[in-house]
Amino acid sequence: MVGLSLGEKNFIKGGIAQDIRTDGRKRLTYRPIFVETGVIPQASGSARVKMGATDVIASVKAELGKPNASHPDKGKVSIYVDCSPTAEPTFEGRGGEELSMELSTALQRCLLGGKSGAGAGINLSSLSIVEGKVCWDIYIDGLVVSSDGNLLDALGAAIKAALSNTAVPKVQVAANASLDEQPEVDVSDEEFLQFDTTGVPVIITLTKVGKHYIVDATAEEESQMSSAVSISVNRQGRICGLTKRGGAGLDPSIILDMISVAKHVSEQLINKLDSEIAAAEACEEE
Amino acid sequence: MEYVSPEGLRLDGRRPTEMRQLRAEVGVVAKADGSASFEMGNTKVIAAVYGPREVQNKGQQMNDQALVRCEYSMANFSTGDRMRKPKGDRRSTEISLVIRQTMEACILTHLMPRSQIDIFVQVLQADGGTRSACINAATLALADAGIPMRDLVTSCSSGYLNSTPLLDLNYIEDSAGGPDVTVGILPKLDKVTLLQMDAKLPIDIFENVMQLAIEGCKAVANYIREILLENTKQLEFRRGV
Repeated sequence: MVGLSLGEKNFIKGGIAQDIRTDGRKRLTYRPIFVETGVIPQASGSARVKMGATDVIASVKAELGKPNASHPDKGKVSIYVDCSPTAEPTFEGRGGEELSMELSTALQRCLLGGKSGAGAGINLSSLSIVEGKVCWDIYIDGLVVSSDGNLLDALGAAIKAALSNTAVPKVQVAANASLDEQPEVDVSDEEFLQFDTTGVPVIITLTKVGKHYIVDATAEEESQMSSAVSISVNRQGRICGLTKRGGAGLDPSIILDMISVAKHVSEQLINKLDSEIAAAEACEEE
Repeated sequence: MEYVSPEGLRLDGRRPTEMRQLRAEVGVVAKADGSASFEMGNTKVIAAVYGPREVQNKGQQMNDQALVRCEYSMANFSTGDRMRKPKGDRRSTEISLVIRQTMEACILTHLMPRSQIDIFVQVLQADGGTRSACINAATLALADAGIPMRDLVTSCSSGYLNSTPLLDLNYIEDSAGGPDVTVGILPKLDKVTLLQMDAKLPIDIFENVMQLAIEGCKAVANYIREILLENTKQLEFRRGV
């Protein structure tokens, strides 16, 4: 990114302090969000989300696999994000690995819950087919095509849209399987089960610049941040995960304030996303 | 397996000399100097160009021409079975090299000494002919970035199955084990700049197959010219001309 001059930096900070950002938005306003579903026909579900110049694609693939020995009644979900060099020349080769790992872990934390699988946004028990032997392995892959700040929110929204677009095939288990044999499963080609995404949270990133926080920061605004807190909130207003980035220390009362701001913003975001996803699905059906 | 039915229809309903549907869009990555997306049937790729800009690695700087670099990467979800390693494998490295050499031959590098031009190609969906789609997307992206070139570079693939030359193979036809000829040309100058083939073909049939691919390249070139003309009209309109 081209460096910012002192004048430009002051302009950004001053604007945020006065509630008029560089592109005219208020501090807690999101950029226009575009959602397109079904962009990858060979995946079980996919979506592309654009927030301003940030463009990300998420795809969901469901494959049959064996459950973990420690959780025989649950399926497996793995999230992996790749940063394409088309977004930033520095992502070439292995340059984007650090950011990819950071985004993947943050998303896993927000969407998959703790080690025991408790509190996951996705109901893992619904992915089990035969306890201890066969389950669905869900691979969620994110790709950052163009990056202009706020990647985590965009990826969270894309994953939510991709999951609502996902159709998992119905499976018939052969009834006469013995206990230690691998049971035969017949994967239906025609019947599908839509994923239940009411429990999937959205991620809100609050970036602190000076004394104020903004939502949906562009890359320029992110370069001026002192710290950022990403909070994932679900429809019931419950917090599902929290990540703090950035070097500056934050007063605990500020963090509590940020959490309540995030909850307030999340209602609007969830409604906006749901209507965009519904519109995208309707578009796709035409 | 029958790839061409007795009535002359291929597996996806095309005629042997029919290309897949082309769709292109310029300016898809806002931050890049130039970018484009190109679709040939189900194969979708995005190309982004950053440059000309200062050379990052001073050791590679050339005093009389620009340095052209290219990276080809495939998304995890681009192929039918999920890929574990998006880049760095041998096929990606080879294709990066091929695209770089093809584009370097047509960019007027002597006009931009001591600078660097980066071409990044990302495959979103792979259904055969990714190499060709990438070269076509890169041409559009370079034009969008305003980088001076001798001519457009367009590319198309062709093959020979069931004793019929076929244009623009998709993944199933490509994996059939028959020959796969990829051609890249400079359409106005009428010169071949890329030619690759695997498997084997008798020489007289090879001429037919290559000629078919060249025809395909020219059709792509016409389409690309239309897209660029449309894009320029849009730019004029936005400037209020």
